[in-house]
Amino acid sequence: MSLRRSLTARVTLLGGVALMCLWSFFPIYWMIVSSLRPERDLFAPPTLIPTSFDTGFKAYWTLLELTDYPLQFLNSVMVAGAVVVITLLVSVVIAYVVTRYRIPGKTIIVGSMLYAYMFPPMLLAIPLLSIFAGLGLADSLWSVIAAHCTLTIPLGVWLLWGFFKVMPLDLEEAAMVDGCTRAGAFFRVVLPLSLPGIVTVAIFAFLLSWTDYIFAFVLVSSDSQKTLPVGLASILGTFDARWGELMAGATLIALPLLVLFTFLSRYFIQGLAAGAMKG
Amino acid sequence: MKRIRTFSDRALLLAFVAGVSTTLLLILVPVLDAVRLSLYQAESFISAQTWVGLANYTRILSDPTFWHAFGIGLLFAITTIAAQVVLGVLFALLLDQPFPGRPVVRGITVLPYLLPTVVVTVIFQWLLDGGLGLFTVWAEHIGLGRPAWFENPTSAMLILIVVSVWTWTPFVTVCFLAAMQTVPKSLYEAARVDGASAWMRFWHITIPMLAPMLTVTVLLRSIWMFNKFDVVWLLTKGGPLSATEHLPVLAYRRAFSQFDVGGGATVATLSFLVLTVLIAVYFHYFPLEEKEEKS
Amino acid sequence: MAEQDSSKALIPPSATTDTFSRRRVITTAATGAALMALGAPAVHAQTKTIRFLNAEPGRESVRALRVAAAEYEKQTGVKVVVDTVPPDDAYSKLQASLSSGTPYDIGTLAFAGHMLILAEAGKLVPMTKLIEKSKWGPRILFPVKGEHYWYPYDYNFCWMYYRKDLYQQKGLKVPTTFEQMAENCKALTEGGKFGVGHPLGANSATQWMSIGYLWADGLKMLDDNFKLLIDNADMKPRMIRYLDFMKKLQPSMPPGMTQALFGTVLAQYSGGQIAHAPYAGRLMEVLEDRAPDLAGKTGFFMYPDSAGKAQAVNHAADGWVLLNTPMRDEAYKFMEWFTERHYINFLHSAPLHFQPPRLDVYEDARWRAHPLIEKHAELVEFMRGILSSKDVIIRSIDTEGPRIDLRPGKMFETFAISEAIQNRLLKDMPAAEAVDIMAKKYRAVL
Repeated sequence: MSLRRSLTARVTLLGGVALMCLWSFFPIYWMIVSSLRPERDLFAPPTLIPTSFDTGFKAYWTLLELTDYPLQFLNSVMVAGAVVVITLLVSVVIAYVVTRYRIPGKTIIVGSMLYAYMFPPMLLAIPLLSIFAGLGLADSLWSVIAAHCTLTIPLGVWLLWGFFKVMPLDLEEAAMVDGCTRAGAFFRVVLPLSLPGIVTVAIFAFLLSWTDYIFAFVLVSSDSQKTLPVGLASILGTFDARWGELMAGATLIALPLLVLFTFLSRYFIQGLAAGAMKG
Repeated sequence: MKRIRTFSDRALLLAFVAGVSTTLLLILVPVLDAVRLSLYQAESFISAQTWVGLANYTRILSDPTFWHAFGIGLLFAITTIAAQVVLGVLFALLLDQPFPGRPVVRGITVLPYLLPTVVVTVIFQWLLDGGLGLFTVWAEHIGLGRPAWFENPTSAMLILIVVSVWTWTPFVTVCFLAAMQTVPKSLYEAARVDGASAWMRFWHITIPMLAPMLTVTVLLRSIWMFNKFDVVWLLTKGGPLSATEHLPVLAYRRAFSQFDVGGGATVATLSFLVLTVLIAVYFHYFPLEEKEEKS
Repeated sequence: MAEQDSSKALIPPSATTDTFSRRRVITTAATGAALMALGAPAVHAQTKTIRFLNAEPGRESVRALRVAAAEYEKQTGVKVVVDTVPPDDAYSKLQASLSSGTPYDIGTLAFAGHMLILAEAGKLVPMTKLIEKSKWGPRILFPVKGEHYWYPYDYNFCWMYYRKDLYQQKGLKVPTTFEQMAENCKALTEGGKFGVGHPLGANSATQWMSIGYLWADGLKMLDDNFKLLIDNADMKPRMIRYLDFMKKLQPSMPPGMTQALFGTVLAQYSGGQIAHAPYAGRLMEVLEDRAPDLAGKTGFFMYPDSAGKAQAVNHAADGWVLLNTPMRDEAYKFMEWFTERHYINFLHSAPLHFQPPRLDVYEDARWRAHPLIEKHAELVEFMRGILSSKDVIIRSIDTEGPRIDLRPGKMFETFAISEAIQNRLLKDMPAAEAVDIMAKKYRAVL
């Protein structure tokens, strides 16, 4: 990469970056700021920078009274974590086998995984509930995990298919000539090279699970099994919650992710960079 | 393509079959059940179901609300995908350049995607609140009066599109960015040495190398945006007066509000068939399997 | 699990075309046997559990239920687990729980039509004996084939509130006609504040808060044979008068009322943005909580008609249903206990909003002893007067017709009247045309 850059190029770049940040962050900024404003200010004409600050965090306390945030947070984390693990295991295997072996009807098999996306989830959720109830899993977070996997595995398979397909076979061949089994070649050669793809799938799987509302709502009844989006949506219907509390709830859902992501983004970037070394 | 020879081959295949069959079971059984429902008439999910065969289909297909919803769905999907891809690629290109604070900026750009839809819709509803929303106040200041954001069909649709683009562009950005890392830098160097401009490098190296990834991304986003239920339902509920009602919303309203479960399942099945056709067409022009075995 | 098989026998045979019935019976039997072998809590084990679906998510209401559950468990050893969902989601949650074979034992419903569907599908257990223990107000009981499946706890009448202080300032009088109402609202629209806020969207808020005027003006939507009346020679002029009146009100309303929901109007009135607000008792509770100085300045009246002769309130209702599950006997006992001992406690969780449909409550000193009920005695008398006065018209779209039926419920869900209002107000369509479109939509579902 050339180290010298014209001034215009640099200014354009930084300008573009600034706009991109503004676009992405402004609504989030507003959400956080609104949750910290004293209630009266929410009814007054809004100012970009808050003039007063609710040090009592009243909106947050009210919110915590209305919903059991810590429990819902835990539930969301557990479900998302399990979904990521299962998704990675299953979709890596499926994508790899599909690209490396002659499987009859593979396009149909993989294509039909897309069917999960092609139906409105509400109409799928109710039959799914019947299945899980029959298995004794109704009102269990396991059913939510399984339902989320039906959303994430097709995505994982498709993304990794893209990755594995362009990976030349020679590398594995070479490793196998050197005495590796197929599985060994897989672990030693293919996986490290497709790390960016795998990290991407992990992130998407996590997010698809974290942000899902419909399956979590239908498949689970008890308050003790609710996840965060369900918790937030359930206070939307009440009259006790107003904009301040809603923004507080939204912030509380977003904040852990923000923190987690800033933390993990290093690994994310490493993963991406590892792929870059290949050149 | 390798043939099945060794033990580890078999182990892999077993895992494959197990994974595929469980996933397909969990996907296909509900889908088939929903399709089955479309052949019945029922007022609720627990009422008696009367067999009507294809009568639901004739009824729905001759109902102008269905075609209207279909058109809205296409409009919504096409505009949002186009915007998401253009913006997503642009952001990915920016994020690939070195500049100070890049890790932080990468994090910020992805933030919208991290938020559950219910959070996003609540934020934008607050920003667009008819009396107190920030955007409403700004609009007043610049002389637009107090816009009725959600009362006007065009503005309601535009808002839906903007919110969807804001939320889901990071998906494209991340996919594209990840794929860009797999393009050997040497290619770019060689091209630059040959005198190719940045634009030419982008168009002749980046795009072709990333074509498979782009194909998959556009396909997935198309299916998702056509079927996106929660953002439309939470933001406009298909309003005003069905101006933003697309097929998933129509299916939902028929099945859950209008005591027409069979009709709702029919709309969903028809939507599903439409998507199947569109996907087949898509694959005709952008085949997933190139002709096999390069060297 | 033998219990589940027997409950299937009570369901009409046509309903068991459920794909999973056979598979589910076998797997459930196997799972049940396994679970019982493991000693997991089953129906016959030590703790009996009743599952209660609550659709009142307010803090106080949830607390009232939890207290009742705890007390019941202490007294009888039967556990009552309360799950809470937003009111709009209660019906789909009940359906989902039924169709998956893990039904709630007691549910909450806000539409009598939903109760009708469940009753006709054989999913409910009658509570006729419980109902017959008390005297009830008008238009709150919806018997199906002579049995009562619905135990109401709430009349959600909607009437108009207004700012007495602003009326005094402007020398206004409580309106008795459309004309006066429009004039008053116009007079109070100034300086960034508005006269009134009526929701206009295609939602239940509009159909609860914005159409009371129609009932006052004598509109009947359906005749005794469920035939549509709104476009006939008698009713159509009333529809037209109403739509034209709403058009007149439009400049007095804040922008964005098509997005307005229940909470929006509460916020607008308590924030001083609007001078009139349609609502029920909850508005007063909210004022006491957020804007107590306004509570004393707020008066109330019913929806006027066009001629100054009649008044109306719009009607909604909330109630509990008992589901036909293995725990139905225990659940019945709980309902018996709850409606006798804790009804008033539950009503107190929204003391002015949960207007008692059971007449004995009004005389009950325990109910009257609540501070808000004492403070707002005038409002309470007003609310009670709605029940006892012969002149007040009480109607709603979904309860039109001679008896409870699904068709008015379907009419309700078309939101055709919201569409008519929007056509008239936003598209400036002539009222007659808007009524024709509305009639067409209604006919399609009748």
